[in-house]
Amino acid sequence: MKFLPLIWRNAVRNRLRTLLTLAGIGFLLFVLIFVRTALTEMQAWEGVAAPHLRVVVQHAEGLTAFLPIELENYLQSDEIQRHAKNVTKFNWFGGYYQDRDNLMPEFAVDVDVLRDLFTELQLSDDVYKKLRATKNGTVVGVGLMKKFDWKVGQRVTLIGTFYPANPELEIVGTFQATDPHQDVQMFFRWDYFDELMNQQKMVSTYWMEARSLEDVPRLKELIDAHTKNSSAPTETVTEKEFAAQFSAMMGNVKAIVTGIGIVVLIIMIMMTANTMAMAARERVTEVAVMRTLGFSAGGILAIIVAESILVSMIGAGLSIGVSLVIFNVLRFSPSPVYFPVFMVESSTVGIALGAALFCGVFSSLVPAIRSARRKISDGLRQVV
Amino acid sequence: MGAPVVRVQAVAKTYYRDQTPVPVLENIDLEVAEGEFVALMGPSGSGKSTLLNIIAGIDRASSGRVEVAGSELSGLSEHALAAYRSRHVGFIFQLYNLIPVLTAFENVELPLLLTPLSRSARKQHVMTALEVVGLADRKDHTPRQLSGGQEQRVAIARAIVTDPTLLLADEPTGDLDKKSEEEILTLLQRLNTEFKKVIVMVTHDPKAAARAARTVMLEKGALVAKA
Repeated sequence: MKFLPLIWRNAVRNRLRTLLTLAGIGFLLFVLIFVRTALTEMQAWEGVAAPHLRVVVQHAEGLTAFLPIELENYLQSDEIQRHAKNVTKFNWFGGYYQDRDNLMPEFAVDVDVLRDLFTELQLSDDVYKKLRATKNGTVVGVGLMKKFDWKVGQRVTLIGTFYPANPELEIVGTFQATDPHQDVQMFFRWDYFDELMNQQKMVSTYWMEARSLEDVPRLKELIDAHTKNSSAPTETVTEKEFAAQFSAMMGNVKAIVTGIGIVVLIIMIMMTANTMAMAARERVTEVAVMRTLGFSAGGILAIIVAESILVSMIGAGLSIGVSLVIFNVLRFSPSPVYFPVFMVESSTVGIALGAALFCGVFSSLVPAIRSARRKISDGLRQVV
Repeated sequence: MGAPVVRVQAVAKTYYRDQTPVPVLENIDLEVAEGEFVALMGPSGSGKSTLLNIIAGIDRASSGRVEVAGSELSGLSEHALAAYRSRHVGFIFQLYNLIPVLTAFENVELPLLLTPLSRSARKQHVMTALEVVGLADRKDHTPRQLSGGQEQRVAIARAIVTDPTLLLADEPTGDLDKKSEEEILTLLQRLNTEFKKVIVMVTHDPKAAARAARTVMLEKGALVAKA
């Protein structure tokens, strides 16, 4: 710690250069945080799904094909109920509110099992009772309520994009979830959805909860075997696997994000290395003087590397601070349609700090080693 | 004369320029005793600064022995040499070589950062050194805010703050005006007489050399006379 004032004074000796370096590091790390957050948000559902034993039955051909309503009878049979409970039809409605930019996660479900199946949604008895009693009732996450400044009792109309229907929903209450990604969802009754769709019985997926972890593979076997030779063969997966299907579709996006991260790191290292090389060149005599005073080569190396780390870490602190304020405090989303929630995860903060540390060390190593290795007498002669 | 603090025996130094050997010092023998103030004189290129650097442990002799305060320098590793410089040597440069971003106090404190002294003990040492050179009231000034003579006094405070065995001064008045030169030489003399500091000073100025108790002449890398 006693060397900190020396390191700090050296780091800020050329203020304009240091400011520009800080701005550069800050901007590049902001880009890194942004793209990494985009990636984590794309994969957020997997994280939400992971702790649950929910199982999803989907058409083997994919989500654009529908499942027969008769399948529900089998799912409610003793054969399945021995391994599962809380079966529901589950359709993503895909509607928007007032503006196409306000597309959000709305789900039509059998509300009788909603609370038992999604235990992480905190629904009061009163609200749940109203939802079951109100045909066009909907429960809305607190995040969504806040976003649109909705009030309980208000009627909201969703404009369908995938289904040709515009449900007029009455907000009967709100819920809060343990994960903020679920706070921007809304649920309404599947029978109301079906009524709007002229009783076509279009079931996108069936969801249920396995009674234990061991029941999950058994459920997959039983259900898929049952439908194998039917007109609607199924593929039964866990909720996490279901979510992972969407992540898998983004394979290229992940590669692009990783590529951007690497490019950002390389530019950061080059920029900081340039700054450190300039700083080291300017201080050849000073380094020689310090070594004359008794500083060892290793000590000089440590001071120069620490200086670089300090600058990188301040840059990281700035970008992390700005990112947290913009995305986590002000809840700004670059695209509310694709990212109803856009929050910087602690792992992303860790990656940004790690990148800054790596950049600080790596960018200063060459100038630091050169400074430390230069003969003192040569250094003293260099600038007079 | 007291026991020798510096003992230089048959020291030679040869530099290589494009693989061509350039001898700088040849067969130098020199002893500096406890409490001595020695001036090392000679024309430019005579090797006096090289000899000073070898005694300071910032350059190595090509052959011969250099012993300071019982340590034989040629046998020391780079790390041990750094420790030797920290413990035994206070170096005063012609161009002061203060760190421009640090205040006078911080510049003087710099060598103490290598010691296990506490912050308050460091402060006490620094203030004592600054008082000796008469600049305690300028402790918060940066080198840019000081005159050349004041900068050199801060540099002297930096050199004495660790209470080293040996003070080595390389043309300490070479960049100063007459008045400052007098002040610095008086200060060095005082450090020698009052604080019993062993001083080896390189100079080409006979008036400066006259302040020393003994003058050693170097010419073309060899000792030519001892006064």
